[in-house]
Amino acid sequence: MSAGTERGRFADVSIQEVIGWLLLAVVGLLVLDLVRQVLVGELPLGRLWAFTWNGIVDSLYIGLAAIGLSMTYSILRFANFSHGDLITTGAFTGWTAAYLVGGIGIAELSSRLLLRADGGAQPGAVGMDVVSAPIAIVLGLIVAAALTILVALAIDRLVYRKLRDASGITLLIASVGVALALRYIIALFYTTDTRGVVASSPQWETPAFVPIETINLHEATLVISALSLIVGVHLLLQYTKLGKSMRAMSDNKDLALITGIPTERVIFATWVIGAGLAGVAGYLIVLDRGQVTINLGWFLLLLIFAAVILGGIGSIYGALAGSLVIGLTINLSLVWIPSDLNEIAAFTLMIVVLIFRPDGLFKGVETA
Amino acid sequence: MALLEASSLDAGYGDLQILDDVDLGVDAGEYVTIVGPNGAGKSTVMKSIFGLTAYMGGSITFDGEPIHGKRPEEIIRTGIGYVPQNDNVFPSLSVIENLEMGAYILDEVPEDRLEWIFDRFPILEERKSQKAGTMSGGQQQMLAMGRALMLEPDLLMLDEPSAGLAPDLVDDMFDRIDRINDDGTAVLLVEQNAKEALRRCDRGYVLVQGGNRYMDTGEALLGDEQVRQDFLGG
Ligand SMILES: Nc1ncnc2c1ncn2[C@@H]1O[C@H](COP(=O)(O)OP(=O)(O)OP(=O)(O)O)[C@@H](O)[C@H]1O
Ligand SMILES: [Mg+2]
Repeated sequence: MSAGTERGRFADVSIQEVIGWLLLAVVGLLVLDLVRQVLVGELPLGRLWAFTWNGIVDSLYIGLAAIGLSMTYSILRFANFSHGDLITTGAFTGWTAAYLVGGIGIAELSSRLLLRADGGAQPGAVGMDVVSAPIAIVLGLIVAAALTILVALAIDRLVYRKLRDASGITLLIASVGVALALRYIIALFYTTDTRGVVASSPQWETPAFVPIETINLHEATLVISALSLIVGVHLLLQYTKLGKSMRAMSDNKDLALITGIPTERVIFATWVIGAGLAGVAGYLIVLDRGQVTINLGWFLLLLIFAAVILGGIGSIYGALAGSLVIGLTINLSLVWIPSDLNEIAAFTLMIVVLIFRPDGLFKGVETA
Repeated sequence: MALLEASSLDAGYGDLQILDDVDLGVDAGEYVTIVGPNGAGKSTVMKSIFGLTAYMGGSITFDGEPIHGKRPEEIIRTGIGYVPQNDNVFPSLSVIENLEMGAYILDEVPEDRLEWIFDRFPILEERKSQKAGTMSGGQQQMLAMGRALMLEPDLLMLDEPSAGLAPDLVDDMFDRIDRINDDGTAVLLVEQNAKEALRRCDRGYVLVQGGNRYMDTGEALLGDEQVRQDFLGG
């Protein structure tokens, strides 16, 4: 009898903890192995640095998207599965704008309009890089943000606004529908073919005193744009009346209503910021990777969710920190596993964290 | 004429009616208390005044204007401040940001009003940049009151401000309410601490099962044998 209770207790208290400790031990061993590999020279420092740097780059675009996902979660109170396809929307609309302007006189209008769906002139021929077509590239960035915002606002008007008082589950399911609709409307015009749209990145030979020999200008554009936007969102949230009211509403919607905060206006701002950042993220990812594909955002969405959950759902600073953890994990794991499996590392880490800190790594440390 | 007047008010949640034929009035500068057992509908009265329940009949006027059926963001502009029973501060916002939210509908934060509030609740000035969620229950209550006072309301509605306070802080809370009332703000108070509330107020209502059962001066209610036995624990 007592043995039975003991066993029952053993089973339900510790089964997930046992898994957690095992996974944690694996993570610990891998870290030790990483140190060993570096010490014995099996892993050159240059390669370690390359993985780390790629991790930081990945975490920046994941972070841009994670801010919006976290905001919709805390202010509209649902997990938005169509957020990934807003990223895709930004990628296609932004690059279409860049092609329309940058490709004048080089490629056919239809080829520019549909982002080389027909094959058409090579990206290199169109001159799609930040040095040969800076204006087109910057314009594309702005259009990516603007059109993604418009699309998100239209979706809110058509779908989510009618469901303001519905449960989070209802909204989640609606957002899955929106995600599919959005993706296949894009596919209808642009086809489902993956294709190169950006020329290979120009490299900048740095002056002698800089420790890095060359800088990839497309990556640099991504890093600088993302960091500025993140700082911008931080300043907006902390120091403007709009930002404070957004934080207030994510704290307590009913109290916000009583206080006279115009909740619909806050929701509007949430879509503008969240979708704008998602659109920019999509555009910048394509700039960095060179290719555009219909599943861009959808495939990324799981990683973004992982980042948001890791950081403690609803906190944008947590989401950013979670993005850094995810970005580094998927890249450093390449030391041991092939790149088509590296997302497993991210999700394993997420499971470990959730077992020990169900509210996320940073809950209670940072809020917003 | 009464500042706030509810007549034959029916209200509830969804299709569920809670308030049945409630009459209630508060004069300008008056201090009125609502007492009654748990679940009697005391909070529902306040929520209904603030436009947060389903309106089902009767009328509510404030300053002579009908306000029933209006939305909270309209009611806040008429001059009613409301401190709900639970979750009445924004926990991740700092003290000063909470107070700023209280003045959201104004173009600028009214500095002189902020001074006025800091004068009455010095702790809020000391803890200006502390996150509200990390403050004690009593301090959060003061912050919630401060927030509701930012727009210089003519009527302040407080839903159980002494709930969860240490006994020695309860008196302090009542003193602060007295002072706000002495400055000319009418107060509508819901209290579990019924005896003390009736001792301090001008007039009291006893609410039972969604309807008002008794109305009299605080002293008379305290003296009433029936009220004492049924609602004040002897
Ligand atoms: N949001 C709601 N939806 C449905 N019913 C509710 C809701 N809030 C309160 N009620 C019901 O309305 C009735 C009155 O509740 P109310 O909160 O007004 O009582 P109260 O007098 O304030 O009680 P307490 O002293 O516990 O605060 C209760 O039966 C309660 O269950
Ligand atoms: Mg109550």
